[in-house]
Amino acid sequence: MNLLIFLIAVAGTVASAVSGWAMMGIEGSRHDLSNMAWSNGDTCGACHSPHNEAPPKAAPLWNASADLSRTFGTAIGDPVAPGSGTRTCIRCHDGTIALDTIAGVNRDRFVNKQHLGLFKTGHGRTDHPVGMKYPQFDKGFRPMNSVLAQGEVHLPDGRVECISCHDPHNQSGLPGMLVMSNYRSSLCLTCHRK
Amino acid sequence: MMRKWTSIGSLSFVVSISMSAVLGVMMGIAPAFADESIVNSKHDLSARGPGPIRAVQETEVCIFCHTPHNAAPQTPLWNRESPRLHYRIYESSTTDARIDQPSGPSKMCLSCHDGSLALGNVLSRPQSHPIVMTARTIPPGTSDLTNDLSDDHPIGFRYDRALFNRDRQLRAPEVVSRELPLGAHGEMHCTTCHDPHNNELGSFLRETDQMSVICMSCHDMDGWEHSSHALSRKRTTGRTVDPRERLKYQTVGDNGCLNCHKIHSASHRERLLRFQREENNCLNCHSGAVASFNVAADIGKRSGHDTRFRTGVHDPTERTFNMRRHVECVDCHNPHSVRHNPVGSVGGSLGQLVRNENLNVSGVTINGLAIPKAQFGYEICFKCHGDSVARPRLSTQRQVNQTNARLEFQLSNPSFHPVAGPRRNFDVVSLISPLRVGSVMTCTDCHNSDNSRFAGGSGPNGPHGSIFEPLLVQNYDRDDFTVESAQAYALCYSCHDRNSILNNESFSLHQFHIVGERATCSTCHDPHGVARGQGTNSSHTSLINFDLRIVQPVNAPEGRRIEYRDTGRFSGSCTLTCHGKDHINLPYAGGGAAKMINAGRGLFQGARR
Repeated sequence: MNLLIFLIAVAGTVASAVSGWAMMGIEGSRHDLSNMAWSNGDTCGACHSPHNEAPPKAAPLWNASADLSRTFGTAIGDPVAPGSGTRTCIRCHDGTIALDTIAGVNRDRFVNKQHLGLFKTGHGRTDHPVGMKYPQFDKGFRPMNSVLAQGEVHLPDGRVECISCHDPHNQSGLPGMLVMSNYRSSLCLTCHRK
Repeated sequence: MMRKWTSIGSLSFVVSISMSAVLGVMMGIAPAFADESIVNSKHDLSARGPGPIRAVQETEVCIFCHTPHNAAPQTPLWNRESPRLHYRIYESSTTDARIDQPSGPSKMCLSCHDGSLALGNVLSRPQSHPIVMTARTIPPGTSDLTNDLSDDHPIGFRYDRALFNRDRQLRAPEVVSRELPLGAHGEMHCTTCHDPHNNELGSFLRETDQMSVICMSCHDMDGWEHSSHALSRKRTTGRTVDPRERLKYQTVGDNGCLNCHKIHSASHRERLLRFQREENNCLNCHSGAVASFNVAADIGKRSGHDTRFRTGVHDPTERTFNMRRHVECVDCHNPHSVRHNPVGSVGGSLGQLVRNENLNVSGVTINGLAIPKAQFGYEICFKCHGDSVARPRLSTQRQVNQTNARLEFQLSNPSFHPVAGPRRNFDVVSLISPLRVGSVMTCTDCHNSDNSRFAGGSGPNGPHGSIFEPLLVQNYDRDDFTVESAQAYALCYSCHDRNSILNNESFSLHQFHIVGERATCSTCHDPHGVARGQGTNSSHTSLINFDLRIVQPVNAPEGRRIEYRDTGRFSGSCTLTCHGKDHINLPYAGGGAAKMINAGRGLFQGARR
């Protein structure tokens, strides 16, 4: 067992060195908004607040009030209400809500103008669906157990959410803040049996 | 205790799985995928993909077609532009489908496979920085369908109940396998047959093409299941037209449709045939090495149905009476229904019903009615040798001339060989048993390959080709002054006993004419028959219709003419000039058989008395 751990450690070191996964963690990542004027140099404050947590509870110590009643168009056609693992993200990433809601200034600024229409109802089925139950019995997908057994992709409450594939804290340091490497599309193929 | 061990076991199992996954990912080793995965298939265009066409650096597999965000407004999260080409679509005189420009999923496939768009142009990358590939577009070859889809299986038509009602060679759409999905409106797409993610069966097929299972999911060719082409275990090596091309399977039966058809990039666009020249699709195998019999050797003979005669003329929907002159294998054979004949049947006189080789072929009845399935063999012949303007020209100038074989064999004619039905002419005493007056025969009793099994040779039965004109199974001399021999009139003597003829059992002067004067059978007899209206029961019985090269009119008291007059059993008279001899109402009577019959009658009467 010790040998195995050693091997993993060595492999990890080698892989990191080769792939240049230097930027791990939220600091310095694109989710590090501490350089924004309104943030007062606080990295976490954009999303978390140690006190006066916003009800209802969406994420740990959630700072801002997200519109939790909205429904969203998805690629599978039916509007669904995503779970907190999505709602906390699209509070900024839906391309309609200004990032600056927290500070109350510059309301016309979007987090990413290139991602306009992300999750927008009626825009077309242009994004991977979120909020839907994992298609457990579809032969195009792997069994949920085997997905969970891999331990990389999260399926909170058995649903596919943004955080299934993305890690907002960038603990892997992968491009796109993915939860695991998509080398040879292995992230996609964790669920998709293609 | 047991439970504890189990839980520990499963835990370690999970741990080992996740560890190996992590290890694999970290070390840059692709997770092991089963055969049915797109990974490591030809559609894996990543830099680690197996094919010659792949990315230079990009290691993701899905990204060439799909993207999780900001996809094209088409399911499923499409990452490519649609091609903007106008396609030439499939056309055929026999298709009942209403074929439209490709749409939906088909366009997605064509975004690579028409060769127009760069493989690395994906929406998730700026156009200025496409994924760098080993080939910019799909290179010319089998995967490049081009914008000409007329040589490919049609797509973009609705396969619905209405189509099924128009085309009875299709299965009802509701019984088609669920493995083969149709589009939202029941239309056929590339994805009906192909699953781009799964190459387990080869060619990304959804069902196996061994024994053409996938084709037969929709197509329902009459008689195919029992046809010799579907059941043949013969190996396909030794084909003559494309000996180097490798067919997917070893045997004819396994290749099924693919022996003759190409689903993509077919040389003969209409009906997607493998070769441009129609007969090559048959002769590829039927030239000795694959099929049992060598038809190719026969059709090239001096007199034959040479299917190489014309290309591009035959059409299954042609109307026989005004079609252009041509002959193709499929004029007489239906390759979807063709079957072996039972062992021991050598064809010919056993019956006039259409033979197994000619099942489900269209024909024209003795009454001139075009029918989709000939019942009798002669009905197939009548398509070209009957009312058709394409029928052969006259070969021998006679007293009365007829090139329409259908009229020559009418049962109401003054005389005819009994092809379309039996004839009761008891003057015919020469028939060799088991033939007798009232027997019927087939066209192929006389018109057959000289090397056919029927003729005692080793080749295939049927009128493919012969060294004896016109496509005769045996020799039949028609030149004046032919020395009589068994060989000279072998054709006639195969049914009509030479001894009977030469003993004058019917016509009392047979021997005098044939042996003494060296006149041929054909000098006096017209083998097919004399059409009603052109001759009467007194002037053209016994197939009498003189050959004008040999027989001339004579100046008789009633006027210059050629005339035969039937005056009763075994008796008649002739008015003509032949070999310099004038016959003016020259009578004959009482053949040998007549004498024998009379003698027998006398004997019988004597005995009674």
